[in-house]
Amino acid sequence: MYYGKVDENLIKELKNICGSKYVITDKDQMLGYRTDETIEAEKMLRVPFPDAVVKPRFVEEISEVLKLSNKKRIPVTPRGGGTGLSGGVIPVYGGIVLSMENMNKIIEIDKENLMVVLEAGVALGDLYKAVEREGFFFPPHPGDEGAQIGGAIATNAGGARTVKYGTMRSFVKGIEVVLPTGEVLNLGGKLLKNNTGYALMHLIIGSEGTLGVITKATLKLLPSSAAPMILVVPYSNRHDAIKTVLEILRGGVIPLGIEYMEREAMERSEEYLGRKWPTEKGEGCLMVMITGKDEDEIFSRSECIMRICEANKALDIFMAEQKRDQENVMEIRSKMYEALKGDMMALFDITVPPGRMGKFMKKVEEVSEKYGVSMSTYGHAGDGNVHVHLMKTDVKKYEKIKEELYEEGSRMGGVISGEHGIGLLRIGDLHISRDRKEIELMKKIKKVFDPNGILNPGKIFPA
Amino acid sequence: MGHGAKDEKEFNVIVLVKQVPEAEDVRIDPDTGRLDRSSAEAVTNPFDLNAIEVANRIKERLGGKVTCISMGPLRADSTLRDSLARGCDRGILLSDKKFGGADTLATSYTLSCAIKKIGSFDLIVCGEKTTDGDTGQVGPEVAEQLDIPHACFVEEIKAITESSLVVRRKTENGYMILELKLPALISVTKDINEPPLPLLKNKIKARKAEIETWSASDLSEIGDVERFGLTGSPTRVVNVGSPHVEKETMMIEGGSSREKAKKLVDILEDLGFL
Repeated sequence: MYYGKVDENLIKELKNICGSKYVITDKDQMLGYRTDETIEAEKMLRVPFPDAVVKPRFVEEISEVLKLSNKKRIPVTPRGGGTGLSGGVIPVYGGIVLSMENMNKIIEIDKENLMVVLEAGVALGDLYKAVEREGFFFPPHPGDEGAQIGGAIATNAGGARTVKYGTMRSFVKGIEVVLPTGEVLNLGGKLLKNNTGYALMHLIIGSEGTLGVITKATLKLLPSSAAPMILVVPYSNRHDAIKTVLEILRGGVIPLGIEYMEREAMERSEEYLGRKWPTEKGEGCLMVMITGKDEDEIFSRSECIMRICEANKALDIFMAEQKRDQENVMEIRSKMYEALKGDMMALFDITVPPGRMGKFMKKVEEVSEKYGVSMSTYGHAGDGNVHVHLMKTDVKKYEKIKEELYEEGSRMGGVISGEHGIGLLRIGDLHISRDRKEIELMKKIKKVFDPNGILNPGKIFPA
Repeated sequence: MGHGAKDEKEFNVIVLVKQVPEAEDVRIDPDTGRLDRSSAEAVTNPFDLNAIEVANRIKERLGGKVTCISMGPLRADSTLRDSLARGCDRGILLSDKKFGGADTLATSYTLSCAIKKIGSFDLIVCGEKTTDGDTGQVGPEVAEQLDIPHACFVEEIKAITESSLVVRRKTENGYMILELKLPALISVTKDINEPPLPLLKNKIKARKAEIETWSASDLSEIGDVERFGLTGSPTRVVNVGSPHVEKETMMIEGGSSREKAKKLVDILEDLGFL
């Protein structure tokens, strides 16, 4: 692919469009706009600088920036909160990084239709707070609350609550999107049903910023329920824990989330934060989050889940009811990645059908033993998304381990990425989960939306 | 022997607990200066969880029974249920309009009446203070009302037998090791232990447990009703304000390290430090 150069004239034009305050070319100031939360070792590549970072405030500006870039063939990499785990915002070909940080207004909380309309740069944490104040609840929770709505939609983010509510896709009802050629489309709306031709909106969701720049979204809300309860359930082995998860899902009481964590990851996080996990028992723990309309419902659901845990050799069932106790376990859970990151080689995001999870974990154990490497596991046990953390080892071993796990995952009907996406990181492995014809169609779709290949080039497949 | 008379068979511990608004939700109303509890969830005072854990560990060693007492509105029964779930054997709620508006004196008097009504006890444990009142006075005042020895800010129990207790108490510039003859009262700091999370099955059981509720008339044979609640409280809250902050933080921004250092020197000179 041929790309044009960002020269002084182009910078001038960008400044004319967005205002000079909102166009950055100083290297120091661009430092934070090069990458995301992906492990350095895993990227195994040099992270380039963009030529400019543009921070527009209005959709019209984005449209103009894209028109200009399309004309001059300048690569444009849209960027949200930079919390991704697949290198999706790395400006591989330089050019412009389009940061959405200034488009951060919550436009409307529509109480009649239970919808929120907001700009793409709103941080998830701010969204949660805003809707909570009005008595609503927005379920998808990918983890890092610094993530932005636009990025969460572009990557169809998942997270701990997917088991009960599904991924972002289930809650996005409308988007405003700017095409790489500059046109602005409004797809969907405040509708719960919409069968009018191809669902282009759903094509944009999860397209990882390669088909258009999401600038606004309409999201479905739920009425808020009573404060959730968190159960902490230690097990002496992972198989009992995973068996419990499957039985809970079959039992009909679907919790808000079921997370599985192993001792090593917990200990690393405890040390990192200077906090203490509530129990020293067990090799692994389930963390089960339960909601309900009131305390009675929460307790009766908890009781059902307790019986299943007990039948599957749970060592104890603790209850974190107070906010500070809940915050403690949530914090230890959410900082596991950060705590392990420095010593990690790779974070696998393989997802298998939930019923195969136990078998897949067994494979992880075998591979770990075979290569003599440490692979700590934690993640969203309820939805088959097993995050395997490979600690530092040599590249050759890494390649072999990856191959074996990907192969086994595929054999079980799984995919190489459940929620982190292909981005830059898994470009070479897409063919494992998608066949040739599928990839060919994807590439053709990309061409239709982005004839000059300027938008987030080098992601999902090579530019 | 008086109210602290020994029961030969059982070692009895009493824990004083209180329901408080969950700390992060509490605001001070700028107009009235009062605590605005409207948005806050009610929880067991965090320090009381340490007290309960102390009682649990003593029970593990010496056997016996742990009784928790709380004074508060009827809905404070949830705090007693929480205490039961965390290992206490019996919960007593002191609830009556006549108990309302009590300062620390009236509160400690009412609690001491209830303790007398229970009868025999060997040790009373409470948290060092509550997160809402923050006085730390009720514990020692209860001990005075009962005329028993007490130690505050206990951070370690070094030894305990049926008749005496050795504790380490925190002081402003160090610590003290004290030996107390039982019965006695101690108030404990949050460093004394790490209270474990309650077990779900105990929580479920505690939800159905019976909580005894005592009113002012239940205590009228033991105490003077006039000394309960507002009528028994000489303290008047005239005004509540935030403390004046005398420390100020200044950020020196922009420029090189040398320039920043120069700015710092200028500021220190202006303030008369250099």
